[in-house]
Amino acid sequence: MGVVVLALAAGFLTYSLSVGGVATKRGNYEISAKFGEAGSLAPGAAVSVAGVKVGTVSQVTLEPKTYLAVAKLSIDPTVKLPADSTAKITSDGLLGGAHIAIAPGAALDDLKPGGEIENTQGAVDIFGLIGSVIRPQGGASSDAAASSTPAPANPATQPAESY
Amino acid sequence: MAEAEAARRVANPIQVLGRSTLAAVRMVGSVGVFAVRGVAAALTPPWFLSQLWRQIVAIGFFSLPVVGLTAVFTGAALALNIFTGGGRFNAEQVMPQIVALGITRELGPVLAALMLAGRVSAAIAAEIGAMRATEQIDAMRTLSTDPFRYLVGPRLLAGVLMLPLLTAVADTIGVAGGWLVATRVLEFSPTIYIRNTLDFLQAWDVVSGLIKAAVFGFIVALMGCYHGYNASGGARGVGRATTHAVVSSAILIFASDYLLTTFFTHAAQ
Repeated sequence: MGVVVLALAAGFLTYSLSVGGVATKRGNYEISAKFGEAGSLAPGAAVSVAGVKVGTVSQVTLEPKTYLAVAKLSIDPTVKLPADSTAKITSDGLLGGAHIAIAPGAALDDLKPGGEIENTQGAVDIFGLIGSVIRPQGGASSDAAASSTPAPANPATQPAESY
Repeated sequence: MAEAEAARRVANPIQVLGRSTLAAVRMVGSVGVFAVRGVAAALTPPWFLSQLWRQIVAIGFFSLPVVGLTAVFTGAALALNIFTGGGRFNAEQVMPQIVALGITRELGPVLAALMLAGRVSAAIAAEIGAMRATEQIDAMRTLSTDPFRYLVGPRLLAGVLMLPLLTAVADTIGVAGGWLVATRVLEFSPTIYIRNTLDFLQAWDVVSGLIKAAVFGFIVALMGCYHGYNASGGARGVGRATTHAVVSSAILIFASDYLLTTFFTHAAQ
């Protein structure tokens, strides 16, 4: 009986690992991407191309000199990404967890293991956006709200752009 | 006479209170001393390796069927209940994650420990109690074999080593039980269920459960040994010892489960 229980447990475990894709993680290659705003991106988040999961975020750290968030992405070796691909942090739902969506570029050469995705788009601060639309701040606020363009909607970026 | 009787009746609740408090304190002290002696015997050579192996087989291997059956039915029932509960706020889809978390953090270790308390703690108490009743423990001491080394140490070690392994099996089978119900009855996709579970579970969810299991294994073996070793009064005493072993290990499992969970929750922050 004990042997049967052990065999069942081992069988289910191997089945899960083969289905869950943890076992195939070993051959993955790693690339990095820098973001101005990582939002709620955390290790373990999915990396997808065209909505299909091709890897995971293995690490999110801060680069001390530039104050950029550096995400290390572990990518399935069968997926070759063009060097000018774009990485974008999006969320699963309106308030769901963050993941990285990669839009493949058109360059002829691929990203090498250890390479970096140059074109990135950080997380969108939804509550910041909502707040700036509801209560616009700053001198140009009335004009900005009236013209209803989303570009100056984030007041935090304005001082940085002004010099 | 009447006055003395009245005085006794007035003093009676106080006496009962004092007597039970003293008994409780004495009990805690003697269990503590017993535990320290047992751990010392378990950790220092010479070891009785054949005894240890016998206990590992008895506690670990032969408990597998009962632990596996408990886990599979618990996982299945948990899946149905969480599906119902999640449905009340349209969150049926998080059922795999909640089942996995509940099994690995709480139900796997606690249920495996409770089954072990019923199966192993009682058996240890009966075995050692019978040896005490037939004066085999005294004979052992006469032959200059330390009963702590020969009887208590191997059982404590086997309990601490085997319950985490049993819990790992219980975790796996419990999730499998939830998976079975989810895919056969509730029409979840088998692969999505497993992928959700694996993506969601963190190493600490499983590891904290295994740490709990090691503590519970110690409690189960300790209570069996303590009550068996201190059994008195022949066959009736042995029966009483098994009952006490099961009841006290079950209570201690729940109490220490709460304490450990509190500790882990604060440590994680």
